Amino acid sequence: MWFISFVNSSIGRKAIMAVTGLCLISFLAIHAFGNAAIYMGSKYFQIYADTLHGFPVLVLLFGLGLLVILTAHVGFGVLLFFEKRKTQSRYRVATRVVENTFASRTMPYTGLFILLFLIIHVFGFNIAVPADVPISAVVKDYLSGFFYSLFYIVAFVALAIHLNHGFWSMLQTFGVNHPRYNCLIATLTIVVPVAFLVIFGGIPIYFMTGAGASF
Amino acid sequence: MSTIDLKLLIWRQKNSDSLGDFETHVLKDISTDMSFLEMLDVLNEKLTKDGMEPVAFDHDCREGICGMCGAVVNGVAHGPEKETTLCQLHMRKFASGDTLVIEPFRSRAFPIKKDLMVDRSSLDRIIQAGGYVSVNTGGAIDGNTTPVSTETAELAMDAAACIGCGACVASCPNGAAMLFTGAKISQLSLLPQGHAERKQRATAMVAQMDKEGFGYCSNERECEAVCPKGISISSIARMNREYLKGVFFGR
Amino acid sequence: MELNPNIPSGPLAEKWDNHRFTSKLVNPANRRKFKVIVVGTGLAGASAAATLAELGYKVEAFCLHDSPRRAHSIAAQGGINAAKNYQNEGDSVFRLFYDTIKGGDFRAREANVYRLAQVSNNIIDQCVAQGVPFAREYGGTLANRSFGGAQVSRTFYARGQTGQQLLLGAYSALSRQIKKGGVTMHNRREMMDVVVVDGRARGIVVRNMINGAIETYSGDAVLLCTGGYGNAYFLSTNAMASNVTAAWRACKRGAGFANPSFVQIHPTCIPVHGDYQSKLTLMSESLRNDGRVWVPKKQGDNRPPSQISEDERDYYLENKYPSFGNLVPRDVASRNAKEQCDAGKGVGSTQLAVYLDFAEAIKRDGEDVIFRKYGNLFQMYQKITDSDPMKEPMMIYPAVHYTMGGLWVDYNLMTTIPGLFALGECNFSDHGANRLGASALMQGLADGYFIINTSVAHYFGSTPLAAVDTSHEAFTATADEVAARVKRLLQNSSGGPQGKVTVDEVHKELGRLLWDHCGMARNKEGLELALAKLPELKDRFWNRVYVPGTEKDINQSLERAGRVADFLEFAEFMVRDALAREESCGCHLREESQTEEHEALRNDEQYSHVSVWEFTGDDQAPELHKEPLAFENVTPSQRSYK
Repeated sequence: MWFISFVNSSIGRKAIMAVTGLCLISFLAIHAFGNAAIYMGSKYFQIYADTLHGFPVLVLLFGLGLLVILTAHVGFGVLLFFEKRKTQSRYRVATRVVENTFASRTMPYTGLFILLFLIIHVFGFNIAVPADVPISAVVKDYLSGFFYSLFYIVAFVALAIHLNHGFWSMLQTFGVNHPRYNCLIATLTIVVPVAFLVIFGGIPIYFMTGAGASF
Repeated sequence: MSTIDLKLLIWRQKNSDSLGDFETHVLKDISTDMSFLEMLDVLNEKLTKDGMEPVAFDHDCREGICGMCGAVVNGVAHGPEKETTLCQLHMRKFASGDTLVIEPFRSRAFPIKKDLMVDRSSLDRIIQAGGYVSVNTGGAIDGNTTPVSTETAELAMDAAACIGCGACVASCPNGAAMLFTGAKISQLSLLPQGHAERKQRATAMVAQMDKEGFGYCSNERECEAVCPKGISISSIARMNREYLKGVFFGR
Repeated sequence: MELNPNIPSGPLAEKWDNHRFTSKLVNPANRRKFKVIVVGTGLAGASAAATLAELGYKVEAFCLHDSPRRAHSIAAQGGINAAKNYQNEGDSVFRLFYDTIKGGDFRAREANVYRLAQVSNNIIDQCVAQGVPFAREYGGTLANRSFGGAQVSRTFYARGQTGQQLLLGAYSALSRQIKKGGVTMHNRREMMDVVVVDGRARGIVVRNMINGAIETYSGDAVLLCTGGYGNAYFLSTNAMASNVTAAWRACKRGAGFANPSFVQIHPTCIPVHGDYQSKLTLMSESLRNDGRVWVPKKQGDNRPPSQISEDERDYYLENKYPSFGNLVPRDVASRNAKEQCDAGKGVGSTQLAVYLDFAEAIKRDGEDVIFRKYGNLFQMYQKITDSDPMKEPMMIYPAVHYTMGGLWVDYNLMTTIPGLFALGECNFSDHGANRLGASALMQGLADGYFIINTSVAHYFGSTPLAAVDTSHEAFTATADEVAARVKRLLQNSSGGPQGKVTVDEVHKELGRLLWDHCGMARNKEGLELALAKLPELKDRFWNRVYVPGTEKDINQSLERAGRVADFLEFAEFMVRDALAREESCGCHLREESQTEEHEALRNDEQYSHVSVWEFTGDDQAPELHKEPLAFENVTPSQRSYK
């Protein structure tokens, strides 16, 4: 009962966004850590992939969990987006005192774009993968394509922008705001998205530029 | 003494049930030493002399502390000067020939009573839900029994400076009362006197806030920018913290 | 009119204890049978409403604002006094009592003031417990600062917003009781009259300011916590809506009004700069610690201050009062500023201002030191006047600030109408002829938190009260009178505004009249002139005032008109009181009563009394009664600042 009223409250909904966002960031961190094996060569990457898939139940549960979290994040995000649209522009002169950051203004759009990317990405690397081809080969095959890679890079840029506001917003919702650490938080809102952009975005560039030709 | 001429587009609405609209008035030779409300006084004297009804607007202390006045001037609550209530805004901030669009504070939770006058009793009900320390008169211990560090007292005072004008609500794209509620919760959660009830206070006040029809926070920071007392959104962060603690660890 | 102050027996220090013991009590289970009406929700009203509801009485509270948190107590800046002696300076209850009595120029009742000093300490404890963020020392203890009229640091403060924080504390206690159902709060109601049944106050008539309805409420006791009447002068540091209506209506129903001419004029306010000006803003008195007050020696010298050389300047306070200089008390500073301006030496566009110059202090201590001390005040000044006191001298002028006079009350805070109590600035009791800084907050909260509960219990416990509700004929009759008066205010409105006057025009004229003749310095001639002019002003108001709109709607012009109508009637009391008191005391100089050196001269032999005025009928001279003041514990002394 208390949980339902919590989820229905103004702060509760934001907290759901923040918690699911944190889960998704954690997943991204693990994912990025694993994918970094690509830079070590196809052999290591394949070992990583095979080891991971040696636990099919775990992967399934993890996947389902992620699906629930993602659905909640997207669902509440869309809900908040529409609620906001309802109350906007109630004055004759529409003006802002603080200019919103680009990241904050575009949260729903970058979010939806990342969702689109996610669907394509999961479809490409999970569902439509032929059973007999090793995953490392699929990766190289897909990402050597110029437009496919470009799409990936654009998606990672969108992710970085989304995280730039999302990360700060999450901390604010959790109540992490202290004069001593606000400077650190401001730094992290740049460092965290950039780190993801470098690791993830580096992969398509790695293949696109031909640096990964010997993969 | 310099003077300016102004064109006013001012919101007129007979009562809560009727539809309102803008009315245009031209004011000449407005002294730049006037406060914004004195300019409205001049307009009202003129309207009275012309046999029209003066513009109703709330105001009282005219020192920027009672929180009674407030209107949206050219889209900004309390007008263009930072950390200044409407009554302390002076006409020298405007130039001759300017058009001023003057509207009431608009929000689902602030029904318009007449012209620029709105009903902000929803804010009172948030305080009634828990914005106090439950001590009866008489039984208090000596004021010096519980030490409070200077830093804590100062932080509590920063939050307690809220005048309850509602500008934060008026300027929030979501019509949220997060800064108002956060300020009171912050004050009482910082001071040791407020600790006994902090969990229950945060949940009760947030529940009332939602019930009144205030929106949620999307971290736009407009509230902080228009707050005449410069209350920071760190108050909102502290409220979130208190609320989460209250929900998950309260009884 | 019988004036029995009901001062308890025994030595001064034991009176309050004796009184509490001998007062009747009401059994906790019986309290819910009694309903108390509280009008006004400032410090006195909010604290009284909360306290009585906590005890179990049924409370109905009323305020004319949109929220009880807006009352003008909120604007008090400086602080609140208490005899805690936290600073180890030898402060005590007796010292606070003595300073307050002396500050009031020996025109207050000893027993009341002593009780005020006694409960002052409880107030601080109570407010701390409510979560009022008082300033703290580094070790975590409460900080104090010094204030005028005392040689000890006993003022507790929360930045420059002490009044706000104390009011919000009382408001939070009130809010808690509203939630619990102990208090029913009625916002946006203006009290229009008291209902008296069988000689006792049994209810009130209010106007609903949203829909214009005339509403009646009954109760077993009525508490007026409606503040002071400084707005009679039009320009004052009071809030725009502060008014005398509630007190004046009570007075017309039989409550005696004490010392109506005791009005405090604060020396350091931002001067008037135009006809459109609606109110005056106070600047802290602490500025006089470093600022030097001067005017040009030559009359009508309108050169900018930088072009007036040192030998062309008259540092009149330093010259006249060599030992105190710029730090003379409020009344002396105010009076001298007016004297200079009246002599044609005023500065600024209206010539109603004197300079307060920081140039020498800046030269002596450096810009940094001065800015650190007064920076926020300078910024406030600059916001309003667009002039930087670091670069050019500030301009100041005195302004009406606080009214010591008020409804006469006995030791129980009860007026001469049984069951009608007056608390805070609304009563006359504790400040004599002059109020010390940081004492107003103390008195409002003392009355509301710690005194009224004893009085109300005693009244209920010792008085048989018949059941009365609003169907009683006294309620309908009073409501009809109120409705008729509202109609009368609108009587000139049908023909349009041509050839009529607005409410503000009459109010400004009244203000000017009082300021000129019943202000800081008064004389018989001027007061008689004012008295002669008042009926004409009243006539003009009633016959020619144009009030737009209707009574059935939100109508701010109508609200103002009602208040001004009462100020016009009440002004006569002020002038008559000033006329009758042929001595200089506290805030006022009666020009006929001064020493050879032109200093105020008190006359204890003839005027050591409270002047209580009884309303005897419209257009009839009120009757003066006197409550003699006995000083058994202090010896009245004459002030000198030379």
